[in-house]
Amino acid sequence: MSSPPFEDFLSLSVDLTAFEATDLLGTGMAHKYLAKVRAACGDEALIALLAAHRAARTDAAGDAGSLTRSPLDRDLLDRALRHRIFSDDRLGPVARNIIKLWYAGMWYALPPEWTDRYGAGTAVGTSTVTAASYQEGLLWRAIGANPPGAKAPGYGSWAKPPRIADRYLKGARR
Amino acid sequence: MYAKFPEGAAQRTDPQAAAEVVYDAVVVGGGISGALIALRLSNAGKRVLMLEAGPAEDLTLRGYEGYLNRFYSAIGKDNQAPYPVVPNAPMPRGSDARRITPGAPDASAYIVQNGPFATDTTYTRVLGGTTMHWEGKTLRMLPEDFRMRTLYGEGADWPLTYEDLAPYYNEAEREIGVSADVEDQAYLGITFDEGYVFPMKGLPLSYLDRTVAKDLDGMPVELDGERRELRVRPFPQGRNGIPNPAYDGGKGYVPRGAVSAYQVEVGERCQGNDNCVPICPVQAKYNAGKTLALALQSGRVDLVAQAVAHKVHVDERTRRVTEIEYRHYDRPDSPGFNTVRARGRLFVLAANAVENPRLMLASGLHGSSGLMGRNFMDHAYLLAWGLLPEVAGTFRGTICTGGIADLRGGRFRSRQAAFTIDIHNDGWGWARGAPMTDLIGLVDSGGRYGESLRQALVDKVSRQLQLAFMVEVPANPSNRITVSPDYTDKLGNMRPVLTYDIPEYTMRGVAYARQLSKRIFARLGAEDHTVYNPNFWGYAVHDGEGYELRGGNHLAGTHVMGRDPSTSVVDPDQRCWDYENLYMVGGGSMPTVGTSNVTLTVAALCLRSVRAMLAQLDSETAPVDISADRHHAASLSGEVSR
Repeated sequence: MSSPPFEDFLSLSVDLTAFEATDLLGTGMAHKYLAKVRAACGDEALIALLAAHRAARTDAAGDAGSLTRSPLDRDLLDRALRHRIFSDDRLGPVARNIIKLWYAGMWYALPPEWTDRYGAGTAVGTSTVTAASYQEGLLWRAIGANPPGAKAPGYGSWAKPPRIADRYLKGARR
Repeated sequence: MYAKFPEGAAQRTDPQAAAEVVYDAVVVGGGISGALIALRLSNAGKRVLMLEAGPAEDLTLRGYEGYLNRFYSAIGKDNQAPYPVVPNAPMPRGSDARRITPGAPDASAYIVQNGPFATDTTYTRVLGGTTMHWEGKTLRMLPEDFRMRTLYGEGADWPLTYEDLAPYYNEAEREIGVSADVEDQAYLGITFDEGYVFPMKGLPLSYLDRTVAKDLDGMPVELDGERRELRVRPFPQGRNGIPNPAYDGGKGYVPRGAVSAYQVEVGERCQGNDNCVPICPVQAKYNAGKTLALALQSGRVDLVAQAVAHKVHVDERTRRVTEIEYRHYDRPDSPGFNTVRARGRLFVLAANAVENPRLMLASGLHGSSGLMGRNFMDHAYLLAWGLLPEVAGTFRGTICTGGIADLRGGRFRSRQAAFTIDIHNDGWGWARGAPMTDLIGLVDSGGRYGESLRQALVDKVSRQLQLAFMVEVPANPSNRITVSPDYTDKLGNMRPVLTYDIPEYTMRGVAYARQLSKRIFARLGAEDHTVYNPNFWGYAVHDGEGYELRGGNHLAGTHVMGRDPSTSVVDPDQRCWDYENLYMVGGGSMPTVGTSNVTLTVAALCLRSVRAMLAQLDSETAPVDISADRHHAASLSGEVSR
């Protein structure tokens, strides 16, 4: 079995997090996170997840079939991700964990029903990846804040409105 | 100002050699109380031995970075997360708290909780003490807080007045380095000397504070016929801001930066890390290490770390303490230790309001008043949390920049407890573990990912408002620290046993606080999300309504001061009535806690006591008889088997 390609992991991560590949690479954590997922879930589950993601993007690209070049239909992609990944017993929990990994810098233990059925990797428990992974959590960037205890924004910056892009200020909707 | 922890200061004192020295003062505890006293005594030319229970690699840059890395790597980031777990000098942890079954003390953690009420109150046993993790709020007490019994028939009167303590508040604000503006802090009777300014200008209110203030300011509240209008007010802070050039009659103020670090990027000014608790990564927040570094530089302060005081030896004939026997462990993780003695002309217990009485009681010293360990106090925190109608940028700033102080005083205190209200810049973090719990909920059960996750996070997290009501708990002799040989730690030291209940007076304040929070949320147009879980360890019911109550880590009252030896443990100088060369200092001396976080008042009291200590040292010129208590000398050397 070949190892899961880094580029595919990155592409999946972009769709799961809504952060650009440059942002994700800029954290310096991408390779470590891939290694963490492999250690926690095993390659088989991850390869299946990456394949499902490729298939979802193909669904969303319509007939053109190209992975990256043609503009994706976001609604179709959303539907395909829900059908192929999030509702899948094996792939859903892994995908959700990858989201949390990027946002919190922490690997959360998979639910016991997952490990009972699909086996536990060596790094199955809840754990941080490195001391830096907490600081690189995307959660803080999403809310226009710094990870508490790191990346300080500077004296008095807290008196000003947060820097959050307008499209995120309108409240949640799909 | 660059303060360096002297190279090797933690190792340079050989405990066995120090045992042969009669110091001017032996100080137990390397927190803010002990540090201030050691600094002032050494400045006056006195020799001081400081015993610290925890390890002391902490004030080096490497040690401090070790704390930070432990914090970054910790799965649970509680208020002790950066600090090493040392079985030989254990410390309580917020996560220890369990609901207590009546009649069954919870002995699962360091503090044995006898109930009936459980608390998650903590203190940090490392060099620097709890100022390593304190938030740094430095409110002065109100003048009326010193006269509670006279004015309101509740609690106790101090043997000191606000006016007595005011000059020492000034000094404490200098030592800690307080940022605040007098015009914001002169209220409810708090007065300042003519022309006084704080060392540094007030830190700006957060955008969250300002969003709240927009609607809240001017909100009328009537209590006991007194009408007042609420406003969001900045809190004085023990962290570096912009120095006030008008300080000290125009001499200005030079902030104290980080200890043992390069000052290019850190320490000079708060950078908004939003992490005061549990650790300021840049040491812009005061910690006692800043004072300790100066004290150790004097060359007259010897520090022995990993030294846990075991027994206070007294001579009942002379009514003096003869020595303090301590257990010096070689390694934090192994139970081996040596028994060593510390000798001095004065002894200062500066361990905190739990450890001070614990040590005395473990030494069989219950005090002639019988009050040793009694009147334990803390603040009871009630949290209320809601979502503001607009994005307020929660999770930015210091942990808390502003709040509501208008209900700290007034006639209502004859009936119900007063409180200060904090606006928490860290949102629902304390109440509900935000924002991680929000993230997990949105991803695991909210079906959110990608863009919809980012929108939902802003919607659910950046609108969070948490109000923390810090409610006064008056002294009650039944609330107490005791010890029992049934409960010991790895070194064989008796652990503190806490018996604690929340009085009705406090609960009436709690109930009022909850009602007020509903009014505040309604005025702000905020959605109230407050729900109190009956299974919560600190769940308390009053008049049919249940509340979650949390501890404040504002330990006080266990060796109260007074003018009458029959109703107090220490005198107004914090000198023990029973032993003329023993001082018990810190929050334990406070007869009331009012609605101020205790550290500033603790510091002021210690600075005041230094005068008495120096006067006593200078008056007692005769050599101290140290031979009186040698009957146990055989046990004073070598490894003790257990």
